[in-house]
Amino acid sequence: MKEHSILEKRTRNRERQKLETSRRIIEAAALVFARDGILATTTAAVALEASVSHGSVFARFGTQAALVSAVIEDLGRGIAARLHELASSGAGTRAVLEAQLRAIAEREDLYARLVVEAPLLPPEARDSLLGWQSAICFHLSPAVEVDTRAGRLKAMPLHLLFNTWVGLLHYYLANRELFAPGASVMARRGGELLDHFMFLISKEGSE
Amino acid sequence: MTKTCIACGMPMRVTEDYPLGNESKDYCAHCAREDGSMQSYAERAAGMASFIARTQGLDEGAALGAAKALMARLPAWAGRA
Repeated sequence: MKEHSILEKRTRNRERQKLETSRRIIEAAALVFARDGILATTTAAVALEASVSHGSVFARFGTQAALVSAVIEDLGRGIAARLHELASSGAGTRAVLEAQLRAIAEREDLYARLVVEAPLLPPEARDSLLGWQSAICFHLSPAVEVDTRAGRLKAMPLHLLFNTWVGLLHYYLANRELFAPGASVMARRGGELLDHFMFLISKEGSE
Repeated sequence: MTKTCIACGMPMRVTEDYPLGNESKDYCAHCAREDGSMQSYAERAAGMASFIARTQGLDEGAALGAAKALMARLPAWAGRA
């Protein structure tokens, strides 16, 4: 009985260590991707940053593409979680977009790398990106539908509204050294972009 | 207690997130049929593809491919493609 309990404890400890190591590798990869670029980063550089063996990275993630995918999913989960809390409180379109801007600003270095390199990433990493864009839409769409029904927003296809917003954000992120050299483009220009976008989609803006 | 839907990955935080308010379920209200049972793989794939096409404007075929790729990572559909 006692031996069984010791074995269980050891198994739990091993599982916890595995999770902690995976977490450390994801955080290290996010840091190096943001600093050096996603495609330019080797798994050896990630292992060095995480202070784990090179073999540990492959033992946890299998391939570099899977590691990139895990980092993208982690980034997206953080943004989606912020929006989920807000959307369930019945927030309007502007509040949801403001929360998205704040969440992006917190991890802007990584997000901007992702915007620039996304078309060149492996398919599974691009699927992860699309997955959390869908999660953002999932939280944004109820707010847009409520505001549209209430006559505050112009009626328009949701995909055009969303893609116009994302296109605007991503253009500024991809060229952030031009719009906010050495600073956060979301912190410096985010408010202006949001005001402009709300002007474009609001009924008031067209009058 | 917060759970994550096994069929779409959505966090389930409030009673309304669960099918018919039944918090013992591991799938969310959006992945359930009207009677509270979980949607089939084909139903969920079609629903997710329709949502992606509606909200992000993807071509229907591309949206279905993306939906299936995303579903393959979720516990309810692991290994399906």
